[in-house]
Amino acid sequence: MSNMINPIVVAPEELHDKLAALKAEGYDFLECLTGCDWGEEGLGVVYSLTKSSTTFEMTHVKCVATDKENPTLPTACDLWDIANIYEREVYDFYGIIFLGHPDMRRLFLREDWVGFPMRKDDKPEEKNAEIPATNENISDTRHKYTLDAEGNLKCEDTPVFADDAYVVNIGPQHPSTHGVLHLRTAIEGERVKQIDPHLGYIHRGIEKISESLTYPQTLALTDRMDYLGAMQTRHALCMCIEQAMGIEVSERVQVIRTIMDELQRIDSHILFFSCLCQDLGATTAFLYGFRDREEILKIFEKTTGGRLIINYNMIGGVAHDLHPDFVEDVKHFINETMPKGLKEYHKIFTGNVIFRNRSIGVGPLTREQVISYGCTGGTGRAAGWHCDLRKHRPYAAYGKVNFNEITFESGDSMDRYMVRLKEIEESCEIIRQLIDNIPEGPIQEKMKPIVKVPEGCYYSAVEGSRGILGVYLESKGDKSPYRLHYRSTGLPLVAALDEACRDFMIADLITIGGTMDYIIPDIDR
Amino acid sequence: MANTSYFAGLIGGIKSLCNGLSVTFRELWTPKITERYPENRKENNIPERFRGTLVMPHNEKNEHKCIGCGICQMQCPNGTIKVVTEMVETADGKKKKQLVRYEYDHGCCMYCMLCTRACPQGAIEFENEYESAVFDRKALIKVLNKPGSKCEEKPARPAVAKPATAPAAANGTPATANANAAAGNAEAKAKAEKLVAAAKKAQENAVAARAAADEAKAAAEANPDDAALQQAMTEAEAKAVKLETAAKTFAQKAAEAVEAAK
Amino acid sequence: MFDFSDFTSWLDTVLLRVMPEWLTILVECVLVALGIITLYAIFAMVMIYVERKFCAFVQCRLGPDRVGPWGTIQVVCDVLKMLTKEIVSLRKTDRFLHALAPFLVVTASMTTFACLPWNKGAQIIDFNVGVFFFLAVGSIGVVGILLAGWSANNKYSLIGAMRAGAQIISYELSIGMVMLTMICLAGTMSFSELCQNQAEGGWYIFRGHFVALAAFIVYLIAGNAECNRGPFDLPESESELTAGYHTEYSGMDFGYYYLAEYLNLFICAGMASTVFLGGWAPFVIPGLDGFNEVMAMIPGFVWFLAKVFFVLFLLLWERWTFPRLRIDQILTLEWKYLIPISMTLLVLMALCVSLGLTF
Repeated sequence: MSNMINPIVVAPEELHDKLAALKAEGYDFLECLTGCDWGEEGLGVVYSLTKSSTTFEMTHVKCVATDKENPTLPTACDLWDIANIYEREVYDFYGIIFLGHPDMRRLFLREDWVGFPMRKDDKPEEKNAEIPATNENISDTRHKYTLDAEGNLKCEDTPVFADDAYVVNIGPQHPSTHGVLHLRTAIEGERVKQIDPHLGYIHRGIEKISESLTYPQTLALTDRMDYLGAMQTRHALCMCIEQAMGIEVSERVQVIRTIMDELQRIDSHILFFSCLCQDLGATTAFLYGFRDREEILKIFEKTTGGRLIINYNMIGGVAHDLHPDFVEDVKHFINETMPKGLKEYHKIFTGNVIFRNRSIGVGPLTREQVISYGCTGGTGRAAGWHCDLRKHRPYAAYGKVNFNEITFESGDSMDRYMVRLKEIEESCEIIRQLIDNIPEGPIQEKMKPIVKVPEGCYYSAVEGSRGILGVYLESKGDKSPYRLHYRSTGLPLVAALDEACRDFMIADLITIGGTMDYIIPDIDR
Repeated sequence: MANTSYFAGLIGGIKSLCNGLSVTFRELWTPKITERYPENRKENNIPERFRGTLVMPHNEKNEHKCIGCGICQMQCPNGTIKVVTEMVETADGKKKKQLVRYEYDHGCCMYCMLCTRACPQGAIEFENEYESAVFDRKALIKVLNKPGSKCEEKPARPAVAKPATAPAAANGTPATANANAAAGNAEAKAKAEKLVAAAKKAQENAVAARAAADEAKAAAEANPDDAALQQAMTEAEAKAVKLETAAKTFAQKAAEAVEAAK
Repeated sequence: MFDFSDFTSWLDTVLLRVMPEWLTILVECVLVALGIITLYAIFAMVMIYVERKFCAFVQCRLGPDRVGPWGTIQVVCDVLKMLTKEIVSLRKTDRFLHALAPFLVVTASMTTFACLPWNKGAQIIDFNVGVFFFLAVGSIGVVGILLAGWSANNKYSLIGAMRAGAQIISYELSIGMVMLTMICLAGTMSFSELCQNQAEGGWYIFRGHFVALAAFIVYLIAGNAECNRGPFDLPESESELTAGYHTEYSGMDFGYYYLAEYLNLFICAGMASTVFLGGWAPFVIPGLDGFNEVMAMIPGFVWFLAKVFFVLFLLLWERWTFPRLRIDQILTLEWKYLIPISMTLLVLMALCVSLGLTF
């Protein structure tokens, strides 16, 4: 099975019409938007569109800006809400100006950063010789660029917040943002009126670094993005490289990877539960979650040697064979610890009248909204969107197991919470089906000492702990990737936060943020 | 509560709160999970695969296996390893690369295992020592080769006794040979060795299990009425069969690996 | 039964013999103040230790165990640390109010602390409208919180203080109402008389049967909210407002809030045991004279402390079980549930008393 993609190339002036036509055709989910510098060919973007409600079939549209110095492309903001943030990311790194975009600010980098670092000819070290030691002045102005009659760029500025807005900084140092997320929140009394996420506090430029690393070296960075989806992220990248190189990994590896992914998912969902409890003030339930999660970490540690940064999947296999105790430990976990734990969680927290009042009807997102914002994973499924890639684009051993895709209808905080707790049960079920039948076979395919991916574009995606985790890989046949882009699972969730929180209270912002379940290093990469 | 009546909501709410209280009350008496580090240093079991720090094992003659090829240094994503070598002339007049200093910056290491996996000689490995805190980050830059140590001349091979692996061992690439080839070959060799050992172990297990099964069978035949003994016999038999199959698979795999290593 | 007033009157006579009256009063005042402050500090430390251990046990942890046997010295060390910490003064704040606020909070809690009847005759502030005085002085604390939030020039603090204002003032209503219910039963507002009555005729929680029991529960909920304790810790809810009204306090200024919070909890429990569980009155079963004799031999302050710690256990238990409420829910709980309930209880109690249905 090859994961090579051949994007449809369109001219900038036809881009918007083409995208609109594809959307009307059923490709109504913008799964991934990748900016790229193709050198001589110019700067441009690749839109990866998916049929969200039927087959999850994908199509890719490539568009190269004509002007190399000041590239411009038409915006797709009016078609997808998430395009707003994605296009800001492309602007931030490649300097492509999206015409008609309402908010063309930098997304991750500081406002005073010079240059666009992901351009192949940019010299960030020279242009930004001194690391600024002063406070960052966060811009309060939105820029909207349009072309006037003569074809010159015209900039129209609007303020982000109204003059009389009472803006509270939630973050970057805040107990409930789960990391260095900065939400500038305009409130009126206790009500949230507007949220402007300010990102990039933990941006490490993993995509940029990867361009100068060999393929095995890029793997080492994946665990550091979504640290509660380390297995899955690394699985996605390994799978992308393997499929691109035409390597078939053994059945054994497929099954091991599936079990590990599911253990990781349970781990992530338990932590989701714990942190939500903590955010809502139920500190005790928080520790119950941690107590049970410890068992998964011990299982991981025995087999892989890592707890959080696991380094387990390798190109063509996995790093270690399963530990002799693995099967027994996993069985104990899924048959005893987890059912007991879940019962306790439901008793102490799910049924609690305070929690129910704080979550039912709070921060609902409709099915249309989650598709438009690209909120996959539990957030998407809570709103009734069947978006589980394990079902719709089965990979590894998911095709062979029976499990239910958990969906709810209303998309409020309670549903987002319940999706995760139910998914723990489903994950246990998947593991239960596989754990006794791990086939024999090699755990590592024989690889050449230097891994080279044949020239071309590739895209692979897995169902991460909190949504679709895609890897876009462009290779020129070298030992390093030419462009490696991760479809972050958390970025769309943050983008949807403004919509979900509007007119709810500050305390609801915490509930909504908690149930969205974003991981900051995954947003920032 | 919005869509239930006032009193039903009130009572339901109180009930749910009592439910929660019962959970915490029960947990009040359960055994505690806190580990009392550092008092439990001795019984604190760190899994053997845990990656705490990189080490270069030395044998009793103060010899290590590093040939100074520098593959680990090349593989490292963030410049953790620095291999300093020099060219020396051996007794028979050949020029040979020799390790002088193997510097490992523990503060930079991200335990990705690329170095240990790439090492053609198996000269470095991760140890599960985890108490790495120091007061000065300079102390984290460690020299892994012990003073006065040198490279093993002919690496000791425990499996040499087995004739099947002898050719593979004889095929051992000279230290100065192409590093890449060395990597592939040594890896295959190591794998073959491991598999042969595993096959031997499996065979032993199978033999033991078969003996146990026979014993159980004899016992069961002596007392045909004892249901427990019958049960034990069936189980022992099943175990023996399973282990024998496993041993066969292992033996086959070992043979294949040895073939591949050649 | 041991009567503490024997000791105080003896001291009084001794002092009067050697010095004039005004000096005697002065010396006595100083002694009492020293006693109060010492007790205050000791109980704050005990409370902190108890809470930390309790919550740890509920959470499958061991809690502090590094300093001293079973971690008993931990709190002393924390207090010493707090005392040596720098007090950061901030620009663009209202310095005077900022410094004043913690003292108001501590004063309020110390004065209410003085109202507690520790033993027969061992009560510092005791006069005929004791309950009334207790409620009035207790409300000064909220002024301190409001000032803290206002003066810090911090948005989190301000929101926290606003929440505190809305919450505490609301909950005072039900506390007052519940107290009225019990006064209705007791017929007195003096704490010493309340205890004396209960020592003679049985605890009010038994005498007022289900009405008093319901009032007890309402008092615990409202009292907990009054103390800003979880699940009602909205003014300082750390996951929303980082630390709420005391975000900008450091060193011992923060320490005062910390002390006051724990002591308020103690006072809340103490008041519950005084009004409902008989204060220092021993547990007696009418008719079982032998049993009653034994009970009466246990000194009053032991009874009092045992009752306080029982109530504290209840408060800690629920604090470490429930998630935090939202501000609108907290007000809903008060105005839609607790106030109607406590009003009904007041009427019921009045009916019971007038129809002679109490014991």
